[in-house]
Amino acid sequence: MNKAQGIIEELEDIDIVGSNIEDFDAPLFIAWQLNSACNLDCLHCCEEAGHKMPDEFNRNEAIDFCSQIIDLKIPYAAISGGEPMLCPHFFELAEMLTSNGVSLKVETNGMFIGDKEAKRFARLGMRSIQISIDGATAEAHEIMRKKGDFKKTVDACKLLIENDVNTEIVFVPTKFNIHEVGKAIDMAYCLGAYGFYTGKIMRIGRAAQNWDLLCPSEEQYAEAFEILKTKQIQYDGKIKVYYYPYDVIDELKYRLYHPAASLLVIPNGKVKLIGPLPFLCGDLRRQSLKDIWKRYKKAWKEKAVVDFTKRVINDPKLLCESNKWVELYL
Amino acid sequence: MVFQKYVKVRQERFGAVVFDTLKEKVFVSNQTGAGILRLLGEGASIHDICEELSKGYDRTSAQLSVEVNNFVDELRKRELFI
Repeated sequence: MNKAQGIIEELEDIDIVGSNIEDFDAPLFIAWQLNSACNLDCLHCCEEAGHKMPDEFNRNEAIDFCSQIIDLKIPYAAISGGEPMLCPHFFELAEMLTSNGVSLKVETNGMFIGDKEAKRFARLGMRSIQISIDGATAEAHEIMRKKGDFKKTVDACKLLIENDVNTEIVFVPTKFNIHEVGKAIDMAYCLGAYGFYTGKIMRIGRAAQNWDLLCPSEEQYAEAFEILKTKQIQYDGKIKVYYYPYDVIDELKYRLYHPAASLLVIPNGKVKLIGPLPFLCGDLRRQSLKDIWKRYKKAWKEKAVVDFTKRVINDPKLLCESNKWVELYL
Repeated sequence: MVFQKYVKVRQERFGAVVFDTLKEKVFVSNQTGAGILRLLGEGASIHDICEELSKGYDRTSAQLSVEVNNFVDELRKRELFI
């Protein structure tokens, strides 16, 4: 018990989770897939990104959404894609959020970051930029990230770090690169990254379609997690080495009873319950963000959601349906 | 005292939520803690906070100062302040 008991309590190490989402009048976190277009064709892409969706939010709709995030005092947002830097109003939206006190993380493949962009990111004062590097070598990175360019991505990290942008590296382990995880952490440290994040590959989108090709064996995971533990100790206080040891099924088992205080917004303004499930609980073209938050809280108790989640837990192959959206509350 | 750059405080019905967005850790407080957090955010000193709180409680500013200091120490321990 802490001394200040009675005035302040700490929730258990909650990664953006309310222990009870009913307590919150608005989400704590927004994960926003800004667009679907992507210059790469990654084997493991959760969003199956590539081409632009026909009904993506236009600039005015995106700005209106940002206004709602600000008005509801949502503290933290992440913008991803597709590749968000392909969106023509990406910087305008990022500037709007950060200048109004929203902590912002941007997830990008780094291919469009030159000196000018790195300086522009620096001016944003954002929480971080997260760059995907799936290997310590060009060979491993580029086999997974088709059309990717390892050198260009590493150079983007260097430019960001030179400009004091908090830079995090994300590494998705597969059969192709899991043996390089230790070297990838060494590289992240040498680059001066703030953090290195990894975890089991999520069986969603193209990763689900390519599952047998990509998914490491339990032995490979065990070996990699041992390396991660060692690296955590080696780099303690120097770089944050974080790995999430659970897979998407473990995540669903937990979320079914402890939904996160967050919303996942896809490029057309529809709102998903969570990445691995197909359910949509709202549409920002038809409801306000505040109303969608109410629908989200209700949706997790819907029989269709509970039953399907339990079926997925028993049969992970159903994760292939995660991007075949099912609208609740039509 | 100033909150760390990426620490965000939001008032809630139950009190307040303090979100260290850099470490992705969330803390919650009750109504009393929320009041302290609000005053801290406005730049109030611990003395001022105790004075303010004593108006709503049947306790003197001196009596409250121990609890308020402990609360602030907890926030410091969690590196929520610069």
